[in-house]
Amino acid sequence: MQHTKALTITPELTFPKVGFLTSEQWIVGSHVLTGLMALLIGIFLGPFQVFRRAPALKWAIPVFSYYYQALTVHGVMNALFFTTFFIVGFSYFTVMRSLKRNMWSTKLVWAAYVLMLVGLLLVVYALVTNQANVLYTFYPSLIAHPAFYLGLVLLVVGTWLVTANLFLTYMLWRKENPQEHLPLAVFATLTNFVLWCVASFGVAIEVLFMLLPLSLGLISHTDPQAGRALFWFFGHPLVYFWLLPAYTSWYAMLPKQANSRIFSDPLARVAFILLMIFSIPVGVHHMFTDPGVSAVMKGIQTVFTFVVAIPSLLTAFNVGAMLERAGRNRGAKGPFDWMWKQDWRNPVIAAQISAMILFITGGISGIMNASLTLNIALHNTSWIPAHFHQTLGGAVTLTFMGICYWLIPMIRGRGLYSANVALWQVHTWSIGMMIFGYTYGAAGLLGVPRRTDLGAAPYINELAVPYLNASVIGGVLLLISGILFFVNIFGTLFFSKAPLTEEAPIDTYVESKSPLWMEKWGLWLSIVAILCVIAWVPVFLEVFDFTNGFQTPGYNPNGGIYKP
Amino acid sequence: MHIDRLERYWIIAVGVVLGAFGAAIVASVVVFGVRLPSPVGRIDPAKIKESEFATPGLTQDGDHTYTLRVVAKMWKFDVGSKEPQPTIKIPAGSRLKIIATSLDVTHGFYVEQHDVNVMLLPGQISQVEVTFNKPGVFHIICHEYCGPGHQAMVAAIEVNEGN
Repeated sequence: MQHTKALTITPELTFPKVGFLTSEQWIVGSHVLTGLMALLIGIFLGPFQVFRRAPALKWAIPVFSYYYQALTVHGVMNALFFTTFFIVGFSYFTVMRSLKRNMWSTKLVWAAYVLMLVGLLLVVYALVTNQANVLYTFYPSLIAHPAFYLGLVLLVVGTWLVTANLFLTYMLWRKENPQEHLPLAVFATLTNFVLWCVASFGVAIEVLFMLLPLSLGLISHTDPQAGRALFWFFGHPLVYFWLLPAYTSWYAMLPKQANSRIFSDPLARVAFILLMIFSIPVGVHHMFTDPGVSAVMKGIQTVFTFVVAIPSLLTAFNVGAMLERAGRNRGAKGPFDWMWKQDWRNPVIAAQISAMILFITGGISGIMNASLTLNIALHNTSWIPAHFHQTLGGAVTLTFMGICYWLIPMIRGRGLYSANVALWQVHTWSIGMMIFGYTYGAAGLLGVPRRTDLGAAPYINELAVPYLNASVIGGVLLLISGILFFVNIFGTLFFSKAPLTEEAPIDTYVESKSPLWMEKWGLWLSIVAILCVIAWVPVFLEVFDFTNGFQTPGYNPNGGIYKP
Repeated sequence: MHIDRLERYWIIAVGVVLGAFGAAIVASVVVFGVRLPSPVGRIDPAKIKESEFATPGLTQDGDHTYTLRVVAKMWKFDVGSKEPQPTIKIPAGSRLKIIATSLDVTHGFYVEQHDVNVMLLPGQISQVEVTFNKPGVFHIICHEYCGPGHQAMVAAIEVNEGN
């Protein structure tokens, strides 16, 4: 495939219009909007789970009245498709704008998009026809319709093409600019796709060699413990794949938006390198209560999990210092008043700072989850969704919404439909998530399980009833917030009359003291490989039964043995 | 590479805090004896009827020491009880060794208000030990999604006063 010739993008806000398929507007817009369509399906099923689980209501979920179908749709659409499409579109935008050039191949962009879109449609088909009620972790020996797995394969293969395209674009730029510093946003994007590619091998092996063949009837048995290990090899780096674009925005874009500058560019890069490396050898912390993994390996991966907390704590300081500078520029004098002397009237800034606030509890609860023995009190209770709705639902999604508030106007060439609606959306989202986090966290400590249709359960945990009922308030706020978000998105796309005012918060040059050795991708991959040998090879040797092979038949998630 | 003085202090503080958390985990294992589920053996799900799980239920091993064998399946815990909500009864102060597996899909095994939280996977044997000091009825809850009957998959441990 020949590369399209580099296209100069003027620093003004005009988009290059060289046939619509080659335009940045269409490339970025199609990915981001497809992601938002997935979110539109997934997001509104969330509050109704809460209503269903509250003893005072026990409402059936509208449309997807079957609880576990709704839960699967909620997880798969929000966590797998919204995130991936949005991140790919955002990464294209970041790389093209920062490096001031087109992607290596526009054809490859569209090839990847079509694969991912077909993947999305296949998965939606399997979900709405009630043939894939396996939740977004799709643990064997529950087996879904082949379309579900095929769709996931296409999504992942699409992202591999995206990764190739991003790296080839970077390599071309590097060849032409051998001594220049890579803009931080691009550096961060590359680390994110490296970790994604490494991680995706786990799930690719699980789906291609265990689940899809069983679903098609080519093999007859599987191994749940081995499937879980392969899934979590992928599953934890996956959460960093969601988080790193949010960090990219906080580090590289928020300084421009908040009229500040980054505190330490080199340490930001160190944080991204650490995240890329140490997000891989930690997935066993999702399997602390699994019978087939030894306590020694659980301990080793706990240590690595604590290491991967370090770059996030570095980020807290670095971004905090940047925000302090922003507050001082706005007249803050005391030691702490910079925290509220921020531009809270700007929804882009308010969304990102609120996301950070949610990430404080999200991060702390994450360290608790990772704490080996403490995990016994938390695993698979409603504490866990409370945790990841502060991280994925809070830090990541709210940051992505903040990004939408400047990116969608830019794609459309119009101003945001309503800044006030956006502000209301941000605050209802933060407060709703906090209430959800507090009530579900408390209920989890009292023993309420996650992923359970409590509205139909024959037992009741009296202690947790007040918390489950109070969580309804959080659900209502989040429902309102979701509606406000899409009002603004559709408003901006179809009804906004305001002119575009915001500039793209993109750095095209860097004044950086970061050493160039930070771009030694081969070195980082070698370290990842060594850590995989230390942290994962023993786990795989434990979980696979090399004498008897697979012994568990597949089961239909609606009951009975699975029949292809 | 330049690192700001305050940032250096912060990094040291982060190291100290994470080190303290790590020490707390080590203490929970060494001092307080908390144990995680570890491999005790595999079992072919097709041969459960010919194994130690052929007759699930409670056996008394000694004074206040019991073994409970459990087979989890869609969507009940077989603990050797025929009641609508399968229940086992033990006196307060009992030490219970739970040995469990799954016949079909992934299940969870969680006991309210006690440190029992383990996955039950077909092909694997799970084992945990726990002491019941407080009288009361504690639900055993399946906390991993296992199909449409998942929410009804519940049993109970009735801990009685006295001997």
